[in-house]
Order: sequence, then C-alpha cells, then structure tokens
Amino acid sequence: MLELMSRVRLKMANEIVSAKDLGIAGCHTCGLAVNMQNHDHVECPRCGSEVHFRKPDSINRAWAFLIAAFIMYIPANTQPMMRTTSLGSESADTIMSGVIYFLSHGDWHLALVIFAASVMLPLLKIIAIAYILISIQRGSTQQKQEKTNLYRIAEILGKWSMLDIFVVGLMVMLVQLGRLTTIDPGPACIAFALVVILTMFAEEALDPKLIWDQTE
Amino acid sequence: MDSTETIDQSGILFVCHECDALQRVPAVEPGHDAECVRCGLRLFRNPKGSIDKPLALIIASIILFLIANTYPIMTLTIAGVKLTGTITDTAWVFVQQGSPEIAAIVWLPSVLFPGLTIAGLFYVLFSIRFQMNWPHTRTILAWITHLLPWGMMDVFLLGILVALVKLVALADVLLGTGFYAFLILIFLYAATIASLEPHTLWESLNVRADEQGAFENG
Repeated sequence: MLELMSRVRLKMANEIVSAKDLGIAGCHTCGLAVNMQNHDHVECPRCGSEVHFRKPDSINRAWAFLIAAFIMYIPANTQPMMRTTSLGSESADTIMSGVIYFLSHGDWHLALVIFAASVMLPLLKIIAIAYILISIQRGSTQQKQEKTNLYRIAEILGKWSMLDIFVVGLMVMLVQLGRLTTIDPGPACIAFALVVILTMFAEEALDPKLIWDQTE
Repeated sequence: MDSTETIDQSGILFVCHECDALQRVPAVEPGHDAECVRCGLRLFRNPKGSIDKPLALIIASIILFLIANTYPIMTLTIAGVKLTGTITDTAWVFVQQGSPEIAAIVWLPSVLFPGLTIAGLFYVLFSIRFQMNWPHTRTILAWITHLLPWGMMDVFLLGILVALVKLVALADVLLGTGFYAFLILIFLYAATIASLEPHTLWESLNVRADEQGAFENG
C-alpha cells in the first residue's frame, strides 16, 4: 500500500494521470477512490456498490438504448399527443400542431419553449450521444474537453423533454367538461416518455471516462 | 484495508468521475468548490454552515411537499362549473381512463421520486445529525444518488404554466394553494441539494472504513 501511494505521488508530481493506470477506480455511486488490487470489480468499502474501472459494456448498451430512443422519436412526433372531443367533433394534436397553435395565437415564446423541449432537445441529445460514441469507437484523441461538456449539457437538459407530457396530463385532468369536451392522451405520450427514458439510460450507460482513455 | 482514501494535510485522493483523473483535493474553505484539474468537473464542495442547514431545509421541504400534494394546484371555472384537483388527481384520471402507464409517467417523476428523495434525505440527515445509527442509511443514500436525476418537479412546474396558458382560452383559471406550495418547494429542494456534499455525507456514514482505519500517507 505504501508503495502504491508513493507511485501516486511520483506520477502526480509530473503530469495528470488516469486512476485506472494506477489500479485505482472511482466508485460510481459514492465517488470513493478504491484500490482495485488487480481485481476487475470489487465491492465499494464505503457504500457497498460494485466498483468497476469503466462502466461494463458501456458502448454497446449506450448504442442499444440510443437506437431504441431514435425509433421511438418517430411516433412521438407523428402520432397525436392528445385528442380533443368537443360537441361530437374530434381533433387530434401532435407536438407540431401544438407549436403551430401557439404561433397562430401570437404566443411565440411558448411555441419556442415547446418546440425546443419536445422536438429539438431529444433529437440533439440523440445526435450528441451518437457523436460521442462514434468518436470513442474511432479512437479520436481530439476535443476531449468539448465532448465532455457536450455530455454534461445532454445530461442536464434531457429531462426538460418531459414538458409536453406533463402539459397533456394536466390538461386531461383539468378539462373534465363532462358532456361538452373531453381530452384524451394520444399514443405519442408513451412514445415520448420512452424517448426521454431511453436517452437517459443511454447517457447513464455511456462512460465519459472512455473519451479520456484515448491517447495519441 | 482496501480503501485508498487518506485525509491528511495534502488532501483527499479523488478520482474524477467524468475523466478519471487522479488528484489530491486540498482542504477547501467553506463556500468554495474544488474542480477537476483536467476536465473542470466540480469534485468537491464545502457548503457554508453545518449539517443543521440541509436538515432544516429538508424538514421545510417535507411540509411543503405535503401541502403541494394535498391542496389543488389550480381551479377552473367553465360555465359556472368548478373543476379542481391535486397532482395525484391528474394521475388518477388516467388510471380511471384505463391508461395507467400514462399515470405512471406523470406521477412518478413529479410526486413519487421527489417524495422518496426528500423522505430518504431526511432519514439519512437526521440519523447523522443526532447519531441515531439508523439501519440501512448507506443503502438509502445510494438509492437517492440514483433516483435524483428522475425527479422532475421543476419540469412539472413549467408544465403547469404552459397548461395554464392553454386553459386560459377555455376557462377562468385560478392558481391554488398547491401551486404556490409547489413553487416554494422547488426552491427549498434546490437549496437543500446545494447545501449537501455527497462525499461528506458518505464519510459520516463510513463506519466500516473507520473500523479498518485509513492507511497512512507514505
């Protein structure tokens, strides 16, 4: 152990070093620096979680979730989010028709919020994660910091795509107009929620440390 | 002795969880952060004030959570008919309509996940503050860590505001007690999270490592 510590000191005096190169791994749950002692995975002495050098099967799992999310993105945007039945006439609203509704009423800020959160954000998140995955697989050593920032932004903003689902949920509950008007959730709600959940899983599966593992 | 953590004058050994850079984080003054030398991720934060602060905030959060979920978020008046309900009522409408999956999508991130997080944090913080040594605190803190990204009260609040704008065209809308409680809750909850450093919490619960004893700095 003393020998390991002096190795750490020596290395750290000169350059930034990855923990993995010294046989140390950070616990994914509590962050403790754990000496792996030549093991592939150990139980964290502080929180009891399993500690790995890198998230297991990171690239494959991230791709699987990402592709599933992309497939779900299509019905999420083409199927109706909600159906409004009023005096016998029925209308179905997709995300885009909701955006157009706000635009036609002059609420361009709201149109922008819905469009950004529901249409742009999930697509940009899928593209961002795909870009990071491809660059890891190609062994790119460029722009590590930019890719890490991209990962962080995708992580923070992802949940805002749930916005329109919550709006539909509230509308359905509040507009119980009995015989006059009913609002029902459409199939796009589930598809949309799956896009959000699957992209969150993809981002969780992707280990950003892999970006920094690539060396010249 | 499998913990490689050492707290001494040269700082704590940290592994950046985004870029894997190994580094010593020196003592951080209260109110200051330590960032990763390689990728700039915040590794450690020393919040001002003792553990009493997050504990007080979490107790206030519990009270507001209960108010936000028992009082109606808004009341609609359409042709003299009043419609009103809590967040949980929103979800219940879906269950009655035969789409429990949509009920789950709305209710879990807006009520259950934040509720569990708040209750769990209270349990852990109370146990640490009053040295109760309550069981399963480590398991609960690990669960909270994984649950945190799935709580979406802030997104839900924006959802209420968008729905409000849509509904104003259809009915007279009056925001209810639940809405205002929810608004305050979001700020209290954010303040609670900001006043916590996970590393410090874990160290407070780290009984096993104490028994093992941290190894000396060679």
